[in-house]
Amino acid sequence: MNLNYVVKELYYQRRRTIISVVGLSVGIALFIILNALSLAYREAARAPLKEIGADITVQRPGNVPQELTGAVFPCSAVTIRQEEITKIEKIPGVIGIGKAVLVWVFDPHQAWIVLGIERENSIGPAILRAFVTEGRFLENGKSEALIEAGYAQQFGIKVGSNIAVAGRSFPVVGLVDASRAPKIAVANLYLPLKDAQSIAVSSKPLQSVSPFAPGDVNLLFIKAEQEKIMPVAAALKNILGAKAVIATPESFLKLLGNLFALSDKFTLAASLIAMLIAILIAFKTMAGNISERAKEIGVMKAVGWTQQNVTMQFLMESVLQCFAAGILGILIAVIVSYGLSFMTVNIPIPWEMSPTPHFLPGGGKQLYKTLQLPVHIPFKLATFALLLSVLIGGFTGALLGRHISKIKPSEVLRHE
Amino acid sequence: MNNGDILMGVNLSKKYSNLEVVKDVSLNVKEGEFVSLVGKSGCGKTTLLSLLSGLEKPTKGQVTLNSKDITGATEEELALFRREYVGFIFQSFNLIPTLSAWENVALPLFPIKMSNDQRRKRAIELLEQMEMGPRIEHLPAALSGGEKQRVAIARALANHPKIVFADEPTGNLDSATGDAIMAILSELHKKQGMTMLMVTHEPELAKTADRVIRMQDGEVMK
Repeated sequence: MNLNYVVKELYYQRRRTIISVVGLSVGIALFIILNALSLAYREAARAPLKEIGADITVQRPGNVPQELTGAVFPCSAVTIRQEEITKIEKIPGVIGIGKAVLVWVFDPHQAWIVLGIERENSIGPAILRAFVTEGRFLENGKSEALIEAGYAQQFGIKVGSNIAVAGRSFPVVGLVDASRAPKIAVANLYLPLKDAQSIAVSSKPLQSVSPFAPGDVNLLFIKAEQEKIMPVAAALKNILGAKAVIATPESFLKLLGNLFALSDKFTLAASLIAMLIAILIAFKTMAGNISERAKEIGVMKAVGWTQQNVTMQFLMESVLQCFAAGILGILIAVIVSYGLSFMTVNIPIPWEMSPTPHFLPGGGKQLYKTLQLPVHIPFKLATFALLLSVLIGGFTGALLGRHISKIKPSEVLRHE
Repeated sequence: MNNGDILMGVNLSKKYSNLEVVKDVSLNVKEGEFVSLVGKSGCGKTTLLSLLSGLEKPTKGQVTLNSKDITGATEEELALFRREYVGFIFQSFNLIPTLSAWENVALPLFPIKMSNDQRRKRAIELLEQMEMGPRIEHLPAALSGGEKQRVAIARALANHPKIVFADEPTGNLDSATGDAIMAILSELHKKQGMTMLMVTHEPELAKTADRVIRMQDGEVMK
């Protein structure tokens, strides 16, 4: 094997080399792009939960009172009892829990969607701290309120004013821009968790359909070890019952309904088909090249090249071509991925996860989390694709080289 | 092997299906001897050369080259044997089109463990001997027929062979160029004592050799 000979052969047979390299590189690029797209949709599906600092949200659906007066729970989120929370905290893989209480309050002149939040917890709606546009966030131990900026504008509520909710008065200390805030558990009034729990406890209509004790909640946000999300979700069902609504990145992926998002098998099958076509192109081109060089191989063997020498020569040619194809494939994939990263993806947020009464303005509107498709090519994927390309080269070169090196020089030089 | 014979073929036959191309031929070549095999096209001389050089295995008979019986050798053993002891000159030069003149000369040296500089040095030395010094970097496509054959002769000598087999070395050349090539071969034999077995169908060229063996219908004429 002589590297100079290898390079020259590829250079002088450049039309064939280019066909082979481009053919395989397109397959490699497709393989990378399909997998990068699949990863991108998976990452996108994490976004709605990630932005609220959780990996899993938990709700329990139930009934609503006959009449919507005073404080009531939405049908999608009724009581999760304190003892159930204690059990959930002990599930292996659970890193932390955020709690919230979501109630609809129908006062005689105003309807509120109230979310009681834990002020200091980084898991859950306390992340709203970053979206205060006026005033300040809730302070520890104080009964005060944050209002959604659009709602405040609609009803002329200002920072510093007082609001009356379910017979209680709260000073408004800040406004929150919900259009920028997480799309899960969106409300128009944010209170300390204890105040929201207190409203729920003292509401007769609410207690009549879903008994609620002071330490109970109706929304849970769980941070879990990434590889244990699914087992944790299964354990949650065991504790809360089969009807519990457990939202995970996987459930958002299903909502996306995209082929890439739906099925790892599809991605695997599509990328395998792409690779197979590329391999066939490369194999056919290389096989054509080798058969045209039968006489050359005859000469090599006549002057003392062994079968192993000939095989190594073709193996190196093939590996070098496929290495170049791998590099080109990665470059193509990087360029295409850059283009694809400008695509936006709308992730539907189920009504249950941000329940708004249908009769309120915007109540029936489908919420979406819109984000740019986070397409990027992980180093591991690029390395794997390059290795795969070199392996294809090695396999093809060894197979063809081994076959052609069996030529007897006398057979191809016979016309002499 | 005796009397300084470097090559000996005994009762060699070669059959392709039912066609016997070489029929019970025996011949020997002494070290330093220039022997030509002459005969009409299709008389079996190229096949005989292939049998004697280890390119092909006889159906019957025995070949001894440099005191080694190569009759039962495997393809790999024959390749190594050719690398060490044999040089070839073909009618149509058979240069590798993508390699320069010096790289073509160095082709038999590629599988041998030596530096590229050493290969290049040896190739240039031989090309200069063939008066091809200014053409060492040229590709075969840029060389004339005569120049190609000079490169091919240099290639045949690259591995310091014990014997050179030449198959119609002037067959693709005009008469003037052919004469020049024959002069080179003759000089190689006379000045360097190179053992040569040349196949030709031209009786005039055959006369350049020390000894002429005539073939007809696969047999050596007595």
